[in-house]
Amino acid sequence: MERAAFVLLAVSRRSERGEKKHANVRAAVLDSPQRVIPARRRAIRPPRGSWAPTFENGAFKRRPSPIKLVKAVFIFLLSGLILLFYLVFYGFLAALFTFTMWVMLQTLSSDIPKYRDRIASPGLMISPKPDTALEFYFNKSDSQSYAEYVSTLRQFLETYDDSKQAQNIDCTPGKVFDQNDEAVKKACRFNLSELGQCSGKEDKTFGYSRGTPCVLVKMNRIIGLKPEGEPYIECSTKDEGTVQIIYFPPGGLIDLMYFPYYGKSLHAHYLQPLVAVQLAINSNSTKEEITIECKILGSPNLKNEDDRDKFLGRIAFKVQMTE
Amino acid sequence: IQLLEVTQHVETHKHIKSDDHKLSTEELEEKYGTSISKGLSSARAAEILARDGPNSLTPPKATPEIVKFLKQMVGGFSILLWIGAAFSWISFGIQFAQGAESPFDNLYLGVVLALVVILTGIFAYYQEAKSTNIMASFSKMIPQQALVIRDAEKKELPADQLVVGDIVEIKGGDRIPADIRLIFTQGCKVDNSSLTGESEPQSRSCDFTHENPLETRNIAFYSTTCVEGTATGIVINTGDRTIIGRIASLASGVGNGKTPIAIEIEHFVYLVAGVAISIGVLFFIISVSMRYKILDSIIFLIGIIVANVPEGLLATVTVSLSLTAKRMAKKNCLVKNLEAVETLGSTSIICSDKTGTLTQNRMTVAHLWFDDQIYSADTSEDQTTQPFDQSSQTWTALSKIVTLCNRAEFRPGQENLPVMKRVVVGDASETALLKFAEVVLGDVMDIRARNKKVAEIPFNSTNKFQLSIHETDDRNDKRFLLVMKGAPERILERCSTIMINGKEEPLDSEKAEAFQTAYMELGGMGERVLGFCHLYLPENEFPDTYPFDTDSMNFPTSNLCFVGLLSMIDPPRSTVPDAVSKCRSAGIKVIMVTGDHPITAKAIAKSVGIISATSETVEDMAKRLNVPVERVDRRQATAAVVNGMELKDMSLQQLDEVLCNHSEIVFARTSPQQKLIIVEGCQRQGAVVAVTGDGVNDSPALKKADIGIAMGIAGSDAAKNAADMVLLDDNFASIVTGVEEGRLIFDNLKKTIAYTLTKNIAELCPFLIYIIASIPMPIGTITILFIDLGTDIIPSVALAYEKAESDIMNRRPRNKSKDRLVNEQLAVYSYLHIGIMQSVGAFVTYFTVYAEQGFLPTTLLGVRVNWESNAINDFEDSYGQEWTKYQRTYLQWTGYTAFFVSITIQQVADLIIRKTRRNSIFQQGLFRNKVIWVGIFSQIGIALILTYGLGHVTALNFTPLRFQYWFVAVPFAILIWVYDEVRKLFIRRYPGSWWDKNMYY
Repeated sequence: MERAAFVLLAVSRRSERGEKKHANVRAAVLDSPQRVIPARRRAIRPPRGSWAPTFENGAFKRRPSPIKLVKAVFIFLLSGLILLFYLVFYGFLAALFTFTMWVMLQTLSSDIPKYRDRIASPGLMISPKPDTALEFYFNKSDSQSYAEYVSTLRQFLETYDDSKQAQNIDCTPGKVFDQNDEAVKKACRFNLSELGQCSGKEDKTFGYSRGTPCVLVKMNRIIGLKPEGEPYIECSTKDEGTVQIIYFPPGGLIDLMYFPYYGKSLHAHYLQPLVAVQLAINSNSTKEEITIECKILGSPNLKNEDDRDKFLGRIAFKVQMTE
Repeated sequence: IQLLEVTQHVETHKHIKSDDHKLSTEELEEKYGTSISKGLSSARAAEILARDGPNSLTPPKATPEIVKFLKQMVGGFSILLWIGAAFSWISFGIQFAQGAESPFDNLYLGVVLALVVILTGIFAYYQEAKSTNIMASFSKMIPQQALVIRDAEKKELPADQLVVGDIVEIKGGDRIPADIRLIFTQGCKVDNSSLTGESEPQSRSCDFTHENPLETRNIAFYSTTCVEGTATGIVINTGDRTIIGRIASLASGVGNGKTPIAIEIEHFVYLVAGVAISIGVLFFIISVSMRYKILDSIIFLIGIIVANVPEGLLATVTVSLSLTAKRMAKKNCLVKNLEAVETLGSTSIICSDKTGTLTQNRMTVAHLWFDDQIYSADTSEDQTTQPFDQSSQTWTALSKIVTLCNRAEFRPGQENLPVMKRVVVGDASETALLKFAEVVLGDVMDIRARNKKVAEIPFNSTNKFQLSIHETDDRNDKRFLLVMKGAPERILERCSTIMINGKEEPLDSEKAEAFQTAYMELGGMGERVLGFCHLYLPENEFPDTYPFDTDSMNFPTSNLCFVGLLSMIDPPRSTVPDAVSKCRSAGIKVIMVTGDHPITAKAIAKSVGIISATSETVEDMAKRLNVPVERVDRRQATAAVVNGMELKDMSLQQLDEVLCNHSEIVFARTSPQQKLIIVEGCQRQGAVVAVTGDGVNDSPALKKADIGIAMGIAGSDAAKNAADMVLLDDNFASIVTGVEEGRLIFDNLKKTIAYTLTKNIAELCPFLIYIIASIPMPIGTITILFIDLGTDIIPSVALAYEKAESDIMNRRPRNKSKDRLVNEQLAVYSYLHIGIMQSVGAFVTYFTVYAEQGFLPTTLLGVRVNWESNAINDFEDSYGQEWTKYQRTYLQWTGYTAFFVSITIQQVADLIIRKTRRNSIFQQGLFRNKVIWVGIFSQIGIALILTYGLGHVTALNFTPLRFQYWFVAVPFAILIWVYDEVRKLFIRRYPGSWWDKNMYY
């Protein structure tokens, strides 16, 4: 697209030039050329063709009418030549670009990226994710106010539906599920029931209607990441006594059997483990804005205190509920 | 013309006012409250000094420093960058008010942009101040001293301490320290050429000889020189009230047009600014219509402006020019105004003085005539022998007359100096003869001592001869020898015999005819001819004790024996003919403008090649065809010698016709005022005119000229002030060297600009593609500034050291209106060819970095909004991994670094290809310009420091980069080189073709 713009630009400049060119021929002959060129070159031959102006007795003799037409054709041809040049030139560059990109892509594996050093440690994210920067505002008695959260959660959990997990296997809990040697990587089953009240099975509104909203915390997928220790999610709030936090699975545990992840193409059915956080907001704390910070703890190789990256192993969000 | 009127006005004004020349000594003493014997008292002098100010010319009023500084701050691209900074601050304000997360980025960007402008402004200001200082220091080099009588004591005082009423003493060689009414003189002559342009020294006396103070003999003017004799006088005017002061202040009124390079740079700035603004606005509209937020669109606009503006370029140009100025100073061209460096290169007409510039400014014996034959003498600057046949007896006799009949003497204590360099006391012709004799015969003073002088009649204008009588050094010959020299026809009148091959023969009409022919021939060469004769006085009539009396002339002064003729000329400098022919092949017209006689002027013009051997003037043609001058077709004569008197009567059209029709022109007997008319005439032809000058009266012409060249040795301060350049050795050949340097810098600036412009596209494309394809930002604004002001600076200066590609003195001067510094081809080739190639290379690196980290190119398209969203911290890549915002940003900075590194690598190739515009790099030599390599290493070094050294400073947006990414763009760099070699090959092979026209910049 940008290339086309340049071609157009070039063409318009060039054709302008073409028009000037004819008028300049005479000046060019009479005035000194800018570089002294050997005599052989200095003679400017008028372009061949009957219309060409001739240089006789020190002045050009103008020939009558058909000249104009031929001139126009000539200018068209000249600009055509330039157009052709840029077409070929940019065509070549485009081909070269495509070719080098193709070569580069050939060196890449389709399974895992070449380098993963830029994402050594995973970030945390929540679902539902409000449009306005991680702030939940809703009225527990107005279903319309949290409908979007609910539908997002429902949509998000659809992939975790038992029917979708038919081919997933039950893995051994508490142990990293290494399958490096396997050609087909299997995905571990994540039972929605583990999310308890936040699974959406009993309470279709994920607690929003009862003033106990659920928020799912998930850890970013990173290929090959094997958490050490016993990672778990812990949330806290500075405003003590405003909210009670309940974790599903209990203790906010993230089971090691869901790691490592082998990438989209090898590990197509992979489901990342979730931790549901149910916020039981005290009835006297409604209308207050409560800041909740969740962190991943218990695993030495998962960072959660980076100065610059506020989402590395942690996440903060606000909840404000009205009645 | 207007100026001339003003000059005349001042002159008439002065005429009415001053009557000091009419007063008697006593009246003067009374008027100025001084005493001729005791001078002023110190106290009184101090009082007057306090009243009148120092005796020096007020320098032209300078622009206040703060104005100069502010001009630098808003000139050139600065406005664009200020706009960018303002936009940054505005968007910071809006974002801050909206409470966005990282509004400070824009604040910093604005600060950085402002800093860039201020720093480059300070740099440019510093450069300008430095170049102004060169000149200031130059004029202060020699403080002039004056010998003053104060408190009845003789004191040496700095000349600027002089006050009206001071009594000053002057001797030969001194500069007159103020306007002086003379009260005592002894053989005093002054050279008024710096004031009036008359080259002949004028004698000065105490007599009131003319109503007009400019004409009267009893006033000597400030800044003129005393050539010989001594004088005492009363100071009547000091400082700006002197005649010179009044004229000098006129010169500042003559308009000083923009230099060609300034025009070129302005044109270039407009071009680039035009491109920047139009692309900026275009994409602003595009981004707004693509539903980007206005604020975002403004930020894009800043990016586009920053990418388009070559921030470092103007500083680079200044540095390149000052480097060339330094180089020229080494070659004796001191450039006062940096831009004049290039102006000299585009010079198409040089109006040169004759005396001192084209010639050696000293009379030298050029021809001899004896034994009925003309001999040529060596007139070069460093002659040590004379090659002509010296075996004849006649020569022996002639040499004796030359030696003895001469009052000039070497100043003592110069035995070790070459003869030609020794200082002589005596007038120009006698000096010439003395040096000539010294070279041919050896110790002249010794010969004179051995042939003791017994009587002498010095030259005077009524006799037109000089005579002396000597004892001879021949012990056996007791006769006295009478020797005489003078105007040839007068000498011949007094002769009855002529010496041929050492024998005296009667002077018959045939021999007289031969004399006439020789005399005419030598005179026709513009030479000053002297005749020499002698007579051995019979011993019986003039015994040892004979009392010679020069008043009664009790010795024979007729029936002498004619020996020969010597002719003298101020010969051309030996380097000049070569320089003139260089000018000729460089398409520069050399016009001689001189106050001298047309015949002399024409002779010198012919001998240096200003009038070539084959060309004829109208008069020559008339003579050859034997028809009256009026009937000759003026257009057929290529040469013309125009007399000042003719010039006076010419209309402007006639002058234009002369300048247009003749390629070889000499203006003789011209006044300095006419020089201005000639310069204006040349400028009407559209020429870039260089003018040399030394006198105060030349300053208007020097100012008017595109480049005024003052003489460093002979030049007056006023001329040096008015000039753009000072020629330290007064040599015409140095001008030509200067022209060569000027042309080279024009070519090299082209290369520098082409080099600098190229990467602007590689900086701009990321923004455009970012806006259109919504990919993550490939390069940051700060990163761009690091290229423009970091890696690229030294390489672009290095191009100023590039040698010329071919003989640049074999092409015509640049046509001001057509051969632009930045022409369409240059812009198109840099922007749309190499620039695009660079962008492609850089984008390949960019996509490689992202792909190898997990974002395949296809994933990147259209992701901008999500990518930049602070709320999205689980952004999925092509492999299913999820990224936080900061992880993405860090990757984005890695992308910046990779893009930056790619541009740097490709700029190395760009630097190499810019070494030449036509020749292959291999013809030019890859290693001949060592500075280029300094540039390349510095470029890579700075890039390494930025990536690995400062890679952890987040504010700079650099990150350490995997080593292999440095090489991704290498194939593209090689491609750039190959492509450019092919371009040059076609240009060389198919000159004048479509390719040549479109690809040669």
